[in-house]
Amino acid sequence: MNHPSIIASNLSRGARWLIAVSVVSLIGCGGSDEATFPEHDNTAEVQAYYANNPEFFVFSSINQLPSDLAWQNGSHLPDIGSPDAVKGGTQYSSISDFPRTFRTVGPDSNGSFRPWLLDSNTVTLAQRHPDEFDYYPGLANEWAVDRENKTIYVRLATTAKWSDGVPVTSDDFLFMFFFFQSEYIVAPWYNNWYSSQYTRITRYDDHTFAISIPEAKPDMDSRVLELRPVPQHFFSELGDDYVERYQWRFAPVTGPYVIHDDDVDKGRSVVVTRNKDWWAKDRKFFRNRYNPDRIQLTVIRESAKVFEAFKRGEIDQYGLNLAEYWYEKLPNEDPDVQAGYIHKVQFYNQRPRPTYGLWINSSKPLLRNQDIRIGINYATNWDLVIEKYFRGDYERMETSSDGYGEFSHPTLSARPFDIQKALAAFARAGFSERGGDGILVNSDGQRLAFTLSTGYEKFKDLPTILKEEAKKAGLEFRIEVLDGTAGWKKVQEKKHDLHFSAFGVSLEMYPRFWETYHSDNAYDQAFLADDSANPDREVKTQTNNLETLAIAEMDTMIDAYRASDDKAEMIELAHRMTALHHDHASFVPGYKQRFYRAGFWRWVRYPSFFNHKHSSSSGSYFVHWIDPALKEQTMAARDSGRSWPVEIKVYDQHQ
Amino acid sequence: MINPETRKKLRRFREIKRGYYSFLILAGLLGLSLFGEVLVNSRALVVSYEGSLYFPIYKDFHPGTDFGESYSYETNYRNLQARWQKEGSDNWLIMPPVPYNQFENHATGSVFKPEPPSMASQHYLGTDTTSRDILARLFYGTRIALLFAIAFTVAVYVIGIAVGCAMGYLGGVFDLFFQRLIEIWSNIPFLYMVIIIFSVVPSTFSIPTRIVILLTVMVLFSWTSMTYYMRTETYKEKTRDYAAAARVIGASTSRIIFRHILPNVLSTLVTFMPFTVISAITAITALDFLGFGLPPPTPSLGELLKQGTATLRTAPWIVTAAFGTLVVLLTLVTFIGEAIREAFDPRKFTVYR
Repeated sequence: MNHPSIIASNLSRGARWLIAVSVVSLIGCGGSDEATFPEHDNTAEVQAYYANNPEFFVFSSINQLPSDLAWQNGSHLPDIGSPDAVKGGTQYSSISDFPRTFRTVGPDSNGSFRPWLLDSNTVTLAQRHPDEFDYYPGLANEWAVDRENKTIYVRLATTAKWSDGVPVTSDDFLFMFFFFQSEYIVAPWYNNWYSSQYTRITRYDDHTFAISIPEAKPDMDSRVLELRPVPQHFFSELGDDYVERYQWRFAPVTGPYVIHDDDVDKGRSVVVTRNKDWWAKDRKFFRNRYNPDRIQLTVIRESAKVFEAFKRGEIDQYGLNLAEYWYEKLPNEDPDVQAGYIHKVQFYNQRPRPTYGLWINSSKPLLRNQDIRIGINYATNWDLVIEKYFRGDYERMETSSDGYGEFSHPTLSARPFDIQKALAAFARAGFSERGGDGILVNSDGQRLAFTLSTGYEKFKDLPTILKEEAKKAGLEFRIEVLDGTAGWKKVQEKKHDLHFSAFGVSLEMYPRFWETYHSDNAYDQAFLADDSANPDREVKTQTNNLETLAIAEMDTMIDAYRASDDKAEMIELAHRMTALHHDHASFVPGYKQRFYRAGFWRWVRYPSFFNHKHSSSSGSYFVHWIDPALKEQTMAARDSGRSWPVEIKVYDQHQ
Repeated sequence: MINPETRKKLRRFREIKRGYYSFLILAGLLGLSLFGEVLVNSRALVVSYEGSLYFPIYKDFHPGTDFGESYSYETNYRNLQARWQKEGSDNWLIMPPVPYNQFENHATGSVFKPEPPSMASQHYLGTDTTSRDILARLFYGTRIALLFAIAFTVAVYVIGIAVGCAMGYLGGVFDLFFQRLIEIWSNIPFLYMVIIIFSVVPSTFSIPTRIVILLTVMVLFSWTSMTYYMRTETYKEKTRDYAAAARVIGASTSRIIFRHILPNVLSTLVTFMPFTVISAITAITALDFLGFGLPPPTPSLGELLKQGTATLRTAPWIVTAAFGTLVVLLTLVTFIGEAIREAFDPRKFTVYR
């Protein structure tokens, strides 16, 4: 066992910060901050890699392009954002931590800053329309789906450019596969995904190529259309020292914002600047968005302080999802709201919901018992949490795959809080006597007590409420509140009993089951030849099967679901799998939120419909704009006492 | 041990009113908190049900069915009392002055939110963000902090005195070796070490175990400062004539240290005691504030302070209660310390500047 690494992995953020500081100061003593790296050029290596994998990297010519393809370009879709939007101004926002790297893959890269480098600042081939779900063109001008050959053909926009002015070509997509398949990036998930989920890329010319995938899923186009190219010219130095060499370098992007080196104040703030020559600035679907000229992102570690900064007008917007903020910290009677300086908005959106709930590790001795898991389901009082803590704003989540339309189970509902049913289930598992403290014990004197861990500091009160209620059913929760990274590490190592967490879900057509419920992600060898549980199996770590759920029947269904290209069959399978998962009772569905709420100063302007149907927060899709004149006026009004009508709006057009 | 000299010092301590009363108040508070379950609790003091008397406080829990309720979990005595009063029943029960425990979420309204102090609901200091009684949490939090501080002080003193005396008395290589060791050891930043070590302690340990671990770690990094003073004092006393005389008579080393030298360095020890207590209270509060101290939902001053600073605008009573308690506690200890220093000062008429 590698002991130091375990200690390091469990370090709290504070301690890590401390170590980081001491390391930095040691480096600082060494002299120059700017490390120099030996010159390196991988052009030959890349070409050799293509040549050695002729099955994957195919070089063809434009004459070979099939002529009977049905090209699509999403031109029937409506514009995004509002034509009223005006470019200009500076938006002030905060980030909770200074990024640990400016790389977008590799160690430490998956942080809260990455959207500014990748997710919201690069353009994919095509993107889901936020109202219609269909694809509108991004880097691609048009594309064609060939279901029979499991291939998607793409024609790039000839005007597409990286932020440093270099054109985006098919070569950047070939290189993308080299990049993500290479071990230099120290990111096994990407290595696996880009090797197993794609089978071939065929280059026809500079702006035409095709990518093939192993299975023709109903949404097979998303696999390819949501790809982001990797700038080959920038990563020509990619090699063994990738992690250090590219640690603090900004890769060119295809999106609207760039970061200049002198706009980075390490540890304090980063400013992103709108690229005035952005290639897509006048294109339909992009022209009314990404309006602020500059976005200043200041590091403020505590959310309470962010809110204070927002109330002073130093931050433009603040998310008011939590009841505490919506009702108490910024109530409708607040003077700034009453004077019309700050607007409050509640927006009902439609998208798959994050799976908030308790993930039960069914590989742990007592939790292996289905009756105990059922008892835990009945002993967890989410209804009280929703009613009293969230003040009835949220709703109970019914299954782990809510919000996928017809793919969600139509009738199943989560087990309610029911002490009698919980006690009955625990009794079936041998826990029928209460000990001196009211917690159930079995005949061996074992107490019915489990650790309930969470990585959500902001929801730290929630487990304490569940604990008090569970006590009534003779169940004890020992609470462990960790910081986000440590909490995630704990579940990834499958060391948890019960963990309160959620998977963020992206806008997808149907839920995924393989990641969370397939036995491949639970144990090394889950079953013996006759499908019975293998007694010597070992828990597999670093997967998203947090329940260590391994059911042979589920595996069969998941495999069929993954291989299926028939929507009706997939729906039927999804319902059966959801029902099986419900019976297994290894997940206690928590709550879901059907809207988001925000408060913003009146100089932040939004379209009349506020935002689009699938938006996840007020900032989604960058449809807002900043009005500097209004800002000046408002700031002056705060001194003079001038006021405007109160603006508290509920947008329920998508309810 | 109580020689005339010590008795004189104690008398002088009693004469310094401010310190003496502070001592009485603090001792009273501590004594009171040891029987806190009688004062602050959700369990009834006495229940008279169908002719027999029950005293639930220090006993195993009573399921609701014991008192004619329909549920099998712990009786809700407040509801029971309300029901009996409404029914005009012959059964009766007496609740403690503060009828809440430190863990239960008790909202008077329909949602969990901080509620201001109210006599009517018997939340005398209001409730915190999840509607737990602040007085109950403060009370038990303070008790843990005080007991923790006392245990910490005793442990630090035992180790500090033993090592310091040995260094001062034995001298030579032993002294040299320990001095170097302590120099190295004391350069490890204590608060960060606690944070690092405590963050790897698995949560499966029970809360008392975790408290003991925290105590051990803190003691481990805090005993060193005491040794310096003890070493110097012992060094000084060792060369005095009385120590030499004792040696000449043939007294053993341990006798010389414990019977002769220790009583004479007592004033140094006693003077530092309040500061050790203060440092223990502030350390555990700081750790809780940072989120590395006692695991939730253990009540603690630091946790309340943290809640309070986050809700400064909307629920000022949280921070007021926690901060007020901390100020009172530390002021009392400081007054006591000042009085002790003055009482044990051989130069009676000097003024502490």
